[in-house]
Amino acid sequence: MLTMTHLQKVYRTHLIETYALRDFSIRVEEGEFVAVTGPSGSGKTTFLNICGLLEEFTAGQYQLDGVDVRGLGDSARSRLRNEKIGFIFQSFNLIPDLNLFDNVDVPLRYRRIAAGERKRRIEEALARVGLASRMKHYPSELSGGQQQRVAIARALAGSPRLLLADEPTGNLDSLMARGVMELLEEINRQGTTIVMVTHDPELAARAHRNVHVIDGQVTDFDSEPMLVRSVRDGDASRAMA
Amino acid sequence: MEIRPILSALLRSKVSMILIGLQVALTLAIVSNALFIVSERLERMQRPSGMNEADTFLFNSTGFGQGYDVKSVQQGDLQLLRGLPGVVDATSIISVPMSESGWSTGVSLQPRQATSTANTALYMVDAHGLSSYGLKLVEGRDFRPEEIGFRSMNDRNVPTTVIITRALAARLFPQGGALGKQVYYDNEGPPTTIIGIVDHLQTPWLDADFIDNSSLMPAYLPYGNVTRYLVRAEPGRRDEVMQGVEQAMIQANPSRIIGRVRTMEQVRADGYAGDRAMAIILGAVIVALLAITALGIVGMASFWVAQRTRQIGTRRALGATRWDILRYFHTENFIITTLGLVVGGVLAYALSLWLMREYQAPRLPWHYVPVGFACLWLLGQLAVLGPALRASRVPPALATRSV
Repeated sequence: MLTMTHLQKVYRTHLIETYALRDFSIRVEEGEFVAVTGPSGSGKTTFLNICGLLEEFTAGQYQLDGVDVRGLGDSARSRLRNEKIGFIFQSFNLIPDLNLFDNVDVPLRYRRIAAGERKRRIEEALARVGLASRMKHYPSELSGGQQQRVAIARALAGSPRLLLADEPTGNLDSLMARGVMELLEEINRQGTTIVMVTHDPELAARAHRNVHVIDGQVTDFDSEPMLVRSVRDGDASRAMA
Repeated sequence: MEIRPILSALLRSKVSMILIGLQVALTLAIVSNALFIVSERLERMQRPSGMNEADTFLFNSTGFGQGYDVKSVQQGDLQLLRGLPGVVDATSIISVPMSESGWSTGVSLQPRQATSTANTALYMVDAHGLSSYGLKLVEGRDFRPEEIGFRSMNDRNVPTTVIITRALAARLFPQGGALGKQVYYDNEGPPTTIIGIVDHLQTPWLDADFIDNSSLMPAYLPYGNVTRYLVRAEPGRRDEVMQGVEQAMIQANPSRIIGRVRTMEQVRADGYAGDRAMAIILGAVIVALLAITALGIVGMASFWVAQRTRQIGTRRALGATRWDILRYFHTENFIITTLGLVVGGVLAYALSLWLMREYQAPRLPWHYVPVGFACLWLLGQLAVLGPALRASRVPPALATRSV
């Protein structure tokens, strides 16, 4: 699904260079549920941003669903992001002035999908997260867990190949977090690849595979994953050594 | 198009939308009416007087001292003026167009008619009058020297011949054939025969409802010891002639004062000073209103961009291109401006009706409002461009940054 090889992300000012990612290599297969863990400032969010084409990288290679994203222009990246990736943010990032229907509609409009098809997808996605009856409600009228469910519905409505979740339960209590996690697991069981950044070891344990990042580098895999095999077979093995 | 979700989002924060919409509405109402008034004033200022303004100037000669014979001085002056280098012609006058001072009377088709058929300004000239004013005779003939007589201010005898403007001829004789007809300038007096028709000559009064009705009568009419002269110079030599005329007149007769030497361009400028001031003031009001409206839109859009930075980042993360963000803000502005303009259109016509009722102003032509619509739409789109460009540069990575 995605392959990063010897990826590097450097933030430069006129005084200093900060390496957010250094010789970062990872491969995620289609259908996997990968949890990315690591301390604050380790580079998890930078990885997620690059993964989701929200930021450009400085060096290395990144292939997303067979597309080499290096050198893609802003519009092409936006299109790719819209068509292939669904985002779930820690703070839900719903638009407060839009009702649930219109919130879920946002990415679909950018894909120029016909109105009828959009309506079908929105209703289906909201039904899937159990909020079909609250389409006309506004985010402020929902609990945190419900808002995150709307964000998941928004991500699902576009039928993404890859779902990127940035601390999806970070702002939720344990009960709501469990509900959201169960929903993500169900989505993954239905075939969507999920990469989730989390601090929570309990949540990470529920993923197929954990990737630990420290100082911008992958330092540990928790099992004998496909990705280790593939990295050993390829150039990335040098980076992992 | 994202009109429905943008509109429903706007309706959630009505105050800002209403404030900007109201500002746009008032701007349209005031600017369209003000523009109409300005254009009316400018059009009014462009009206031709009918005479040669570029090459003519006028001045007063006021005699003093015992034995000052105004009649003989006047005849000598006219001879002198006509002989000056660069002078085409000269005549004595009582008034000129746009001076707001002169004589007027009623003209009737029958003696002792209860109500005059038309009102007219009276210009007293000699046989050099048409040439000095630079008027175009379209029918009939000019005055002959023997027809010109001296008149006093209290003289009740009306000259027997008159030259009138085409507009007055049409008013008196709508079927045509005014030339040679007799009309009455004095209900009790003898008739006056129309011997000529000139193309155009305005009355001295710019607000007169009979502004194009003028009559030229063959007479010298000094005001006591004051004589007013109109001099027409060769093209391009007016200023040169003007400089020498005062000295030449004093040399010819030192018992007088030469004053109020003015070009017809100055007379026009003075005559239309009020209109010009009104046009400038209203122009400044229009510019100020448009600037305030544009700044209001810039301010509100900038505030919204700052307020929604994270939201914009989220939209970018969800697949919006820079162009989508730019278009979002332009569409939002378009909706607010359109709502404001619809209200403003109604207000514009209401304001026009009020001006008509209170100040007898003419009705606002319908096309001013759609033109105002287009201008304010354009202004709104230009005003929102800067904040919208700023919004389009918000990086998508902002969506994942913690608050």
